[in-house]
Amino acid sequence: MSRRLRLLGVSAIVAGVAGAAIPATASAVPVITMSGSTSVAPLASLLAKGYLKQYPGRVKFKLAQGGSDVGVADVAAGRVSIGNSSRDAKSSDPGGLVFNKIAKDAICIVTNPNNKLPNLSQSQIQAIFSGQVRNWSDIPGATATGSINLIVRTAASGTQDAFQKIFMGSSNVFSGASAKASNGLVQSTVKSDPNAIGYVSQDFVPGTHAVSYQGVGCTLATAKSGEYGGVRNFWMVTRGHPRPASPLQKFIHWAQVSSRAQKIVATHWVPLK
Amino acid sequence: MLDRLREPWSDQRAERTLGALACLVLIAIVLMIVFVAVRAWPSFHHNGLAWFSGRGDIDQQIGVQVNTGANPTRADYTIGAWPLIWGTILTTGFAVVIGVAFSVLTAIFIVEFAPGPLRRLIVPVVRLLAAVPSVIYGLIGILVLVPFVTNHLVGEGRKESVQYVINLSGTGLLVSVVILTVMITPIMIAIIVDALYAVPRGWKEGAVALGVNRWRAMWTVSVRAARPAIIAGAVLACARALGEAIMLSMVSGSKGFAPNPADGITFIFEPLRPLASTIVEDAESLNAPAVQATVYSFALLLLASSFFLSIAAWIAKQSMRKYGVR
Repeated sequence: MSRRLRLLGVSAIVAGVAGAAIPATASAVPVITMSGSTSVAPLASLLAKGYLKQYPGRVKFKLAQGGSDVGVADVAAGRVSIGNSSRDAKSSDPGGLVFNKIAKDAICIVTNPNNKLPNLSQSQIQAIFSGQVRNWSDIPGATATGSINLIVRTAASGTQDAFQKIFMGSSNVFSGASAKASNGLVQSTVKSDPNAIGYVSQDFVPGTHAVSYQGVGCTLATAKSGEYGGVRNFWMVTRGHPRPASPLQKFIHWAQVSSRAQKIVATHWVPLK
Repeated sequence: MLDRLREPWSDQRAERTLGALACLVLIAIVLMIVFVAVRAWPSFHHNGLAWFSGRGDIDQQIGVQVNTGANPTRADYTIGAWPLIWGTILTTGFAVVIGVAFSVLTAIFIVEFAPGPLRRLIVPVVRLLAAVPSVIYGLIGILVLVPFVTNHLVGEGRKESVQYVINLSGTGLLVSVVILTVMITPIMIAIIVDALYAVPRGWKEGAVALGVNRWRAMWTVSVRAARPAIIAGAVLACARALGEAIMLSMVSGSKGFAPNPADGITFIFEPLRPLASTIVEDAESLNAPAVQATVYSFALLLLASSFFLSIAAWIAKQSMRKYGVR
């Protein structure tokens, strides 16, 4: 290849690399990275969009999921700025973490739309999910027949932690249950399987039938009024308190107190105030 | 400087450069094995030989490890990997056995009995199938096979017979083995066809001259001569099946359950999860030290099994050496 052609090629590559690098350094907009709970993810994404609408161009958001335990571990290791968690702080969590509450959420027990169970008491839920009762014919009010297909969550899930604490108490979940990795997968499995029963965050109920718990229906109204018994907290976990006036602290403060953020939360979740 | 590289290389320079590259590959493999072994050591240290046994619900054991987070106690490292090992043996074993039988018969057909136009069609199609990404097989599995098995093959009576032990849905051993077989067969067919073509014509013609028909000549002469290639194809397919993670996690039911042959036909519908799929599914909780040790111990077992596979193939080929077969 001639010398001129080679020089041209090298300078084109260098220009290309420089052209790609310069916008990256010149933008320098702070990035807020989030990972963690699949239950908090829809709310986190709406809050991020609402924040950018009110203060455009101030920050950039990157959202990942993985489950509450993954979020807590990621933020403790410094891999993300915010870990979304749908379970409360545990004693086994790494030290130095600050849990900032942003909303409350209901967990609904769901069945297939063709199997409209009217109501379940706590002892019935414990009997079903621990594997003592295995047939739909033993549940009053169930229209499905055959064996119960239990759909639960994997170990990293905060929804699973909250379900265990609120509904199961000291009973263990049946070991033969199918474990899914996200709310969405539980929702789609329960939608398609007539014999399925599972639990999801309230935002993921559409397409399934939400069962009343102890006589109270699982709706946004009953969760807000406090009648529904299966309500748990949503947290945004940070490593220590965010520095005052930093973009991270401004976002979390906005999410907790501003009226626009509360309006966003009130669409599908229970606001703090 | 470029001019110096363009002048003809001496033998010495070529030997040193190529030798360095080869050694680099060797060093990379050794480093990889050492890295995995060092990270896996805590799990073997805390469990001893009981690591290979079934000591309770492995999903629950891994769940405990995920939940203890950053500070696991000694008891948290407890793991009994037998359900996963059994799941791997079942899927890989059935797929390779069925695949070898199918591949040999297909290869014989392609080489000997297929009419010209059909042969010219089948051979490129088989080579194309060998190149299809495995995730596509997984998609076809969950979209087509799993609903078919759930709705038509697994009846209520079968589900109720095991309902106190495990949930039966369409995903399980049957769909995993079917898809894995379809996935590994094309490459075996390609290898065996090439080996059958390479058998000296004189050997086959000698058999036919003695009055043997074409099928017997193929079976007793060509296939016997191609046995090393059949073993090589089987080892390659076995290695691919062992490493198949994402496709199997989609269709195998994803449950750390050891399917029980004593259940009769229900055995093929029971969910399971091979080692590679477990690694993929637990990879996101890898920061917890106990989970890390467990996942790396599975990886070490997979590496060791590839090693033993090569040794087994070598031993099998040794017994054929006396017949002068390559």
